[in-house]
Amino acid sequence: MFLFLGLLGASLFILIVDVSVSTVILAPPIKIIILLIALFLDTLAISSRFYSYLIFPMFKQMKRHVVLSKEDPYWIASSLDSILHKEGDNYIATVYIKIPLYRSETEMNVDEKLEFATQTSRLLGQSRMPIRFTHEMRIINKDAYIETIKNMIADAENEESKLLEQNSTASELAKVRGKLSMWRGMMDVLNSSSSLELLTYASVSATGSQEFEAIGIVQQRAREVISAVSAIFGITSSIVTGNDLLKFVEPEYMIPYSTISEKIIKTINV
Amino acid sequence: MDEEAIIFIVFTAIIPVIVIANMSTFGPTIYAYIAIILAGLTLAAILMISFADFIVFPTVTSIFGITFQPFNNYEITKHQEAVIKNVKGIYYATGFLTANLFAFEFKEEQVEENLNDKMISSLGNWEKATMSIDFPFKFHIISEGLDVQSIRDELEGKRSYQEFNLSRALQSGSANDVIITDIQRKISIIQAQLDRISQGERPIGAIMYFETTAVGVSKKAALDVLTEQIKRLQIAFTGMDMQMLRVVGRELYTLYKFNFMLPYDNINITTYFDTQK
Repeated sequence: MFLFLGLLGASLFILIVDVSVSTVILAPPIKIIILLIALFLDTLAISSRFYSYLIFPMFKQMKRHVVLSKEDPYWIASSLDSILHKEGDNYIATVYIKIPLYRSETEMNVDEKLEFATQTSRLLGQSRMPIRFTHEMRIINKDAYIETIKNMIADAENEESKLLEQNSTASELAKVRGKLSMWRGMMDVLNSSSSLELLTYASVSATGSQEFEAIGIVQQRAREVISAVSAIFGITSSIVTGNDLLKFVEPEYMIPYSTISEKIIKTINV
Repeated sequence: MDEEAIIFIVFTAIIPVIVIANMSTFGPTIYAYIAIILAGLTLAAILMISFADFIVFPTVTSIFGITFQPFNNYEITKHQEAVIKNVKGIYYATGFLTANLFAFEFKEEQVEENLNDKMISSLGNWEKATMSIDFPFKFHIISEGLDVQSIRDELEGKRSYQEFNLSRALQSGSANDVIITDIQRKISIIQAQLDRISQGERPIGAIMYFETTAVGVSKKAALDVLTEQIKRLQIAFTGMDMQMLRVVGRELYTLYKFNFMLPYDNINITTYFDTQK
């Protein structure tokens, strides 16, 4: 609001000066240029209603790439159960609560479907404070599994080369080659498509002048959400901790890096 | 149009009005006309920014090629349609879609006779739509309980007004059946909402949106895939009675920030968004 009033005031002042000064003192083209400045400030004033966060940095930096912040958007709290963001002098803590709800409509009758929809509606209206409920489909990180299979392939290849050196029987060789072909086939299947995972979670935020204050308040809110979920759906939800938090925040955890690398390598090979 | 918008428009429109009123002070006729044209353009800009800033702002940033870095390692594209993150040379483009799922939106919902059928079928529709998607996405609902008493008072006021309209229409004798039926329908909708509050259901304000992320070896590749994914989401969830519009401009920035911090005060969250009011 201050930015709006400031810009509007500046525009009005310039316009009044422009209108008051005679064309004898200021030539008409100069008056039009001053008018343009006043109208531009007026347009900026109305823009400040929505874009106050952009106007200052844009004109201060005068670059095509405007940097609003060089800071990381968040950091994980030392208690590993929330993420923190600093805005002005305040800290904002956000907690993620996993809701292990694995019911499918295919296993519900009509009454159960209606009950489930009503329960969901009721859950949404649980708190006076804003809560975010999310249904997330993400690609599973298969790194560890792929590594295991790669090791299996390497072991089978070693075994095959040893058997070849030892002039082993054809049946022994065929057995190892069969194993090798099986692991290679499995690797191909694994790389042919992404494996998806569906998660449901809730998140809440709270603010405080100190980190621990914000964390304390948000944990309290999280416990209220957990109680509500438990009371409505009869399931035990839990606060997400550690690296698992990143699944809900960072885009690269929605699509793991290794999965993309595999895709790119395959595209290049094709 | 809300009161805040009217205040902003009225105050900023004063400047062009002053220009038009004092056009003769800008010199000979030609300069007076230039001043009027400039004032007219400013008025048009004020109205455009107030009602369609999601068109104006991306247009301006696209023309001048302006991009933003909201935080370290993130970038908002010049078309204001996606947030891009670069991780080890791979680009992750994240975009948003509004998704008003009306059956769960209490405040503005139209209570229909077949609401239960709609809620029952919505589960199946949702699962079918979800199963047809093979890329990552998130569906978010940010909800907050509204003050029961103030909503009840508001609804009772609306019902009284409609009842007054109905009695006037019946007394006048000139109103046809269509008008009377329409007023009766409006009263029954309000009454249904009041009944739901009486049964213990809390009215809520809600924002619902989709978020999807695409990857690419360049920004353009990631953005192209993102656009395709957004189209696929729009198609997949067609059966859900949702209004799915791609989010651009300031709302994109706000939604992106929600990934790290949600609104923490008890305010009406729907005021954050023009498209979801």
